[in-house]
Amino acid sequence: MTTPRHACAAAARGLPLVLASLALAGCASFSPDGGFDTVEQVAQERLGKDVVWARTAENQNRIDTRVAELLTRPLTVDDAVQVALLNNKGLQARFFELGIGEAELVQASRLPNPGISFGRLKRGDEIELERGYHLNLARLLAMPLVRQVEERRFAQTRGVVTLQLLSLASEARKAYFNAVAAEETVRYRRQVQQAAEAGAELARRMAEVGNFNKLQRLREQGFYADATLGMARAEHAALASRERLTRLMGLWGPQTRFQLPERLPDLPEAPTDQPEIERAALAQRLDVQGAKLAAEQTAKSLGLTRTTRFVNVLELGRAHNSSNEAPTQTGWELGLELPLFDWGGARVARAEAVYMQALSRAAETAVNARSEVREAYGAYRSAWDIARHHRDELVPLRQRIAEENVLRYNGMLIGVFELLAAARSQIAGVNACIESLRDFWLAQADLEMALIGKPGLSGAALALGSSPAAGDVGADH
Amino acid sequence: MVSRRNFLGRAGAVTAAVSAAAVSKVAMAALPEPVTQHSPDTMPPLVPERGRPYNPVVTLNGWTLPWRMNNGVKEFHLVAEPVVREMAPGFKAHLWGYNGQSPGPTIEVVEGDRVRVFVTNKLPEHTTVHWHGQRLPNGMDGVGGLTQPAIQPGKTFVYEFVARRPGTFMYHPHADEMVQMAMGMMGFWITHPKQKHPLIDEVDRDFVFLLNAYDIDPGAYTPKVMTMLDFNLWSWNSRVFPGIDTLNVRKNDKVRIRIGNLTMTNHPIHLHGHEFAVTGTDGGPTPKGTRWLEVTTDVAVGQMRQIEFRADEEGDWAFHCHKSHHTMNAMGHGVPTMIGVDHREVVSKITQLVPDYMVMGERGMADMAEMPMPLPDNTVPMMSGAGPFGSVEMGGMFTVLKVRRDQKPGDYGDPGWFDHPAGTVAYEWTGALATPARDRDPGRSAMPARNRPAREIEVQVRKPDRHGPH
Repeated sequence: MTTPRHACAAAARGLPLVLASLALAGCASFSPDGGFDTVEQVAQERLGKDVVWARTAENQNRIDTRVAELLTRPLTVDDAVQVALLNNKGLQARFFELGIGEAELVQASRLPNPGISFGRLKRGDEIELERGYHLNLARLLAMPLVRQVEERRFAQTRGVVTLQLLSLASEARKAYFNAVAAEETVRYRRQVQQAAEAGAELARRMAEVGNFNKLQRLREQGFYADATLGMARAEHAALASRERLTRLMGLWGPQTRFQLPERLPDLPEAPTDQPEIERAALAQRLDVQGAKLAAEQTAKSLGLTRTTRFVNVLELGRAHNSSNEAPTQTGWELGLELPLFDWGGARVARAEAVYMQALSRAAETAVNARSEVREAYGAYRSAWDIARHHRDELVPLRQRIAEENVLRYNGMLIGVFELLAAARSQIAGVNACIESLRDFWLAQADLEMALIGKPGLSGAALALGSSPAAGDVGADH
Repeated sequence: MVSRRNFLGRAGAVTAAVSAAAVSKVAMAALPEPVTQHSPDTMPPLVPERGRPYNPVVTLNGWTLPWRMNNGVKEFHLVAEPVVREMAPGFKAHLWGYNGQSPGPTIEVVEGDRVRVFVTNKLPEHTTVHWHGQRLPNGMDGVGGLTQPAIQPGKTFVYEFVARRPGTFMYHPHADEMVQMAMGMMGFWITHPKQKHPLIDEVDRDFVFLLNAYDIDPGAYTPKVMTMLDFNLWSWNSRVFPGIDTLNVRKNDKVRIRIGNLTMTNHPIHLHGHEFAVTGTDGGPTPKGTRWLEVTTDVAVGQMRQIEFRADEEGDWAFHCHKSHHTMNAMGHGVPTMIGVDHREVVSKITQLVPDYMVMGERGMADMAEMPMPLPDNTVPMMSGAGPFGSVEMGGMFTVLKVRRDQKPGDYGDPGWFDHPAGTVAYEWTGALATPARDRDPGRSAMPARNRPAREIEVQVRKPDRHGPH
């Protein structure tokens, strides 16, 4: 809420009507930022990213230049988020909601048009001219209320737009990690496929010279066929996740050839310890703030309803009646509804109910926020532990198993096909490690989102990412 | 070498679950001191200083247990205990044995000797000793539960009997027998004849060894005791070639070799360059009229064979089990045959994934012996042993009989490789080769083929190609 408007609203109630109407007329104009400042500020403070509202060609140029510059090098996750915030057309569409909201607010702040009445009455020879200037005083009196409603809606729009922005940033972050991991997975899948291909080729040659029978050959062929299927699936997953990122970044044409790095960022050495996370979330979360604001505002509108329940139809007019036979009559004319049948109690009850509803909503939002942030932090911690376990335990273990298998191959204790099977399994282990690292980054993105808004928790995905146990590739000699 | 260290003093070094304190000091004081052997080498024969004289045997990679005389009784002390046996250089097995080694020491007595054997059990479970092939009082036969209570851990039992007939015998547990034999509990027993025996010749060299088998996963130390037939280590006296000592003799020595089989399969034992006769079994010396000459004798499970020959051909003669898998060390029995498989291009694919991969078996398995490659810990290559002309490509139940003109009597030392007289070694033919004539119609007269395969199958001989591009 910008201060001049607020001051205006206060003035409207306290000052004489004309002054008030002048003052009202004076502040019913568009702000220079169109309500965008708040959004921009949040993007800066919470994400450290720039946002530009492409309202002018100049702004669009700024966006295009910046995006082109970011796309020249392999994207980091921050780059991807930045591109999405600048270039996502859906977000730009959201920004225009600000414009719509502000227009409605301005509309609501405009003075009602005054009315003029002019009458010419003739009684015999007497001609009476009746001129009246009247203003819908009720509407004028109710203007602060209407303005507040519109302001609240505008604030809500700003809140929604800001949340959309944060959510887009989070989605872009997650899409980025998914895309990078999927490309890495394709590389490892390709290696698995190569191993299987080598096995199948060797088996074919074994069968050719009579060392393998059809069954043995077909088994190896089967591994290859499975690996090819896995490869095709991985390639599709990589394509789909890349396209999702492309959409979020709003790219098309040659821009879609953006480069991603070969590897996910390393796992941080230690997870962030956040004992005060619930408090932080309650202080920072926009949905919590929004709910609080809504409750406050309904409280205000409740107060207003109480004070204005009798003064709901009030007409003020200046009368100016002139007659050719009498001096001109001037004076004020005030019309007032008599509260005989409707004392406004129903409206007050409604407003109270609305207020209580807002309070409950705010409480629910706070409870959910606490729980969501706890869940997000738990997922983040587990994801870190799991990723570290993969990195420090499972992968080295599989590596050592692979080394031991080579030694056993050297001693002719196992054959080349067992060696290849072990290699496939080791690669699968590396892949599971990549997936665990991806899951960590996803969980971190969720946690960051949970601290500022309602997260789209992807926690269930953690349970997936199955991988065979480390010891299963032991070969019988 | 042989150490006579105190039983109690040694106890700390023993890895058994049984503590030394379990054996009473007072009880031990009356016993012959247990003697322990730490070396797996072949020990010189133990020439008797007391008691009736005899011509001692040489235990291949083993030793003979010293005794003490006590009022005319020969007293031995066997200690059943966990041991670490070096089965070949670089490969040690965690076995159970007697007096520091597996197999246990050879016991040598003379026909008519009264023998008292103290058996102290330092294993984690009960045991007994069965004196395989001996005539003895039933209660001395050592079958746990049947003829005696088992010897509990920490306890010492006494066996006493007269060695009634001369011959070749064994001893081994008859309590939890499957496990204890799979763990290496066994030993030799020789009863020498009291006087000149018409069926037992005097010999210059008398070697003894037991055939035994273990299943130890490469890189592991303890045998898998549940294995029944698919063993991966076929050993003589718990040694595998190239860890087995050679049998070194003087030319024209009369040589006797006594072989006992405590594995779970038979072993056709084969000697090169000589014919031998089987002169004795578990039952004693064979009648002269039953002896015939051969170069391979099958030693069935639980049997003894005593073979004799005159070593009259100089040289280094292979001596081995003729089951060729038994002359290999640990190998994968499920490894596919790669002979004749062209590895081109495939190799580069595999090495991308397994950088240390090398093609093996494409031309056979001799590569294995030629290229030393890193193996799992505590493993001997499946075939190895360097001879004067290259790798011997053997393992397991294989050794060499070395016959030398200048080997001194009583000298069991290794004389080195044989120096072949000129013109007595196979050589490469460098002259022209005529194309051999081949019969294209086999079975023409005897059994003409009626149903020929629809398509003529011709077996192509694939010539080994040592210079193929790999």
